[in-house]
Amino acid sequence: MTQLLRIELYKIFSRPRTYISFAIIAAISGVIQLAMLSDGGSFVNFALQGVNEQFDIQGKVLNGYLVTYITLQSLLIHIPLLVALVGGDAFAGEASMGTLRLLLTKPISRTQLVLAKFSGSLVYTLLLLIWLAIVSLGVSLLLFGTGDLINLKSDAFVLIMHNDILWRYAAAFAFAGIAMMSIASLSILLSIFADNAIGPIISTMGIVIVLTILSNLELPLFTLIKPYLLTTHVIGWKGFFDDPVPYHAIGNSALVLIIYTIVFLAASIIFFNRKDIKS
Amino acid sequence: MIKRYLLLFSLLICLWCNAQPAESNASSLFYALRTKVLTVHDYVADVKMKINVAYMRLPDLKGKLYFKYPDKIKFERNGGISILPKKNMNLAMSNLIPQGKVMVIDAGYDTLGGKKVHVIKVVPEDEGNIVLSKLWIDEQALVALRTETTSKDGTAKMELTYGMYISQALPDKVVLYLDVKDYKLPKGVTMDYDDNETNSAIKSSGTKKSSKGTIQITYLNYSINTGLNDDFFNSNTK
Repeated sequence: MTQLLRIELYKIFSRPRTYISFAIIAAISGVIQLAMLSDGGSFVNFALQGVNEQFDIQGKVLNGYLVTYITLQSLLIHIPLLVALVGGDAFAGEASMGTLRLLLTKPISRTQLVLAKFSGSLVYTLLLLIWLAIVSLGVSLLLFGTGDLINLKSDAFVLIMHNDILWRYAAAFAFAGIAMMSIASLSILLSIFADNAIGPIISTMGIVIVLTILSNLELPLFTLIKPYLLTTHVIGWKGFFDDPVPYHAIGNSALVLIIYTIVFLAASIIFFNRKDIKS
Repeated sequence: MIKRYLLLFSLLICLWCNAQPAESNASSLFYALRTKVLTVHDYVADVKMKINVAYMRLPDLKGKLYFKYPDKIKFERNGGISILPKKNMNLAMSNLIPQGKVMVIDAGYDTLGGKKVHVIKVVPEDEGNIVLSKLWIDEQALVALRTETTSKDGTAKMELTYGMYISQALPDKVVLYLDVKDYKLPKGVTMDYDDNETNSAIKSSGTKKSSKGTIQITYLNYSINTGLNDDFFNSNTK
């Protein structure tokens, strides 16, 4: 199994397209940091105008923690796409190149192959998140320094002290790992049904976009299904930036995401074991 | 008939005489308080601030509060973010007492925390931001224990508790009551994480969505009349 994982990782990291994801994250993060460096003050004033009517907010509002939060918020849609780039390619890529049948002639079970592909995607996802932490949090702290964090919610203004933030980011990135694991398993499941990587990548993205819209629509029609939607729980990392931290809700979201991952992974194993491999 | 007129006239004179000292007593009380308050030109104080506004979730803020007469005020938190109500709800006593020529109206006596206080209303004769000030004054200590200041921007109520710095009319604790406007951002922009846990925790802590808020400031110590520079109050990092 270790050997199989090593081969999968070699395949993932020998493809140039894998590094596009890292470049995209660095570019988005860099653009946001540049924008904040040049005109962050106006952005802060605009964002705080509701509070500024009654209160004078002084001090270093624009700091590395705030810029990181804005970056993570902007990357909400993009990270699943980047995860799907590798997950969606796992089986469909092999099928389109005609190497899947050859791979299955080796003395490995189909279940082992699914698990190895999933583990490879997981390693890639975690490295992507570590890279995100370096370029967003690390670089932002270098450029803007530290400070207290203002989190603007739709109905609340939350202020978190500077010495109480770092652990929240660590927890948020760990949670993001669980969330992206579910996206990776979804893209692997879709990859099993396709012979071309573009299909599962776009399908994963489409599902994420549609579910995100449903999660954010304040319509009674969707209120009932919201708690069961994947995207409702994917943004659970934001809970760590609330006061008090809703640990129970975050735990519940993590559980839902793990269940989704297990279901997608189990479905992948079942469907792949039943699949008639023709290429 | 003449006797009747004389009696009525003397009665009116008596009433006028009785009324005059009350008004002049209230005036002298106000001017004495104003003189006492204005002896403090500036101060630096270590403070602990607790903001209780429905939509704000903040820990207690500790820092230094700088004040310079007449209306300069700054709160510094050792590099952290500080929050103060807008200038129209100034926390400094000297800014809540009308300056220049005023008309003082005696509003009788009241009891605050078991203490008898003299209530006076002050209407500034010069045009300024303050329209009317109502002061509850402890005559013995010559300090205001409660103020209600109506300005063009609204009414600000303040309750003051004194301790070590009562001789300079500087409070140990101030509670400012303010009207709070509603705060709302579109959920599509903030993309909130929906959890009922935080909302129910806030409900159980007794913080209701109210249009009223309080700011409680505890002054730990003062450095008075240190000669603060005006430029110090102009620096504002965002």
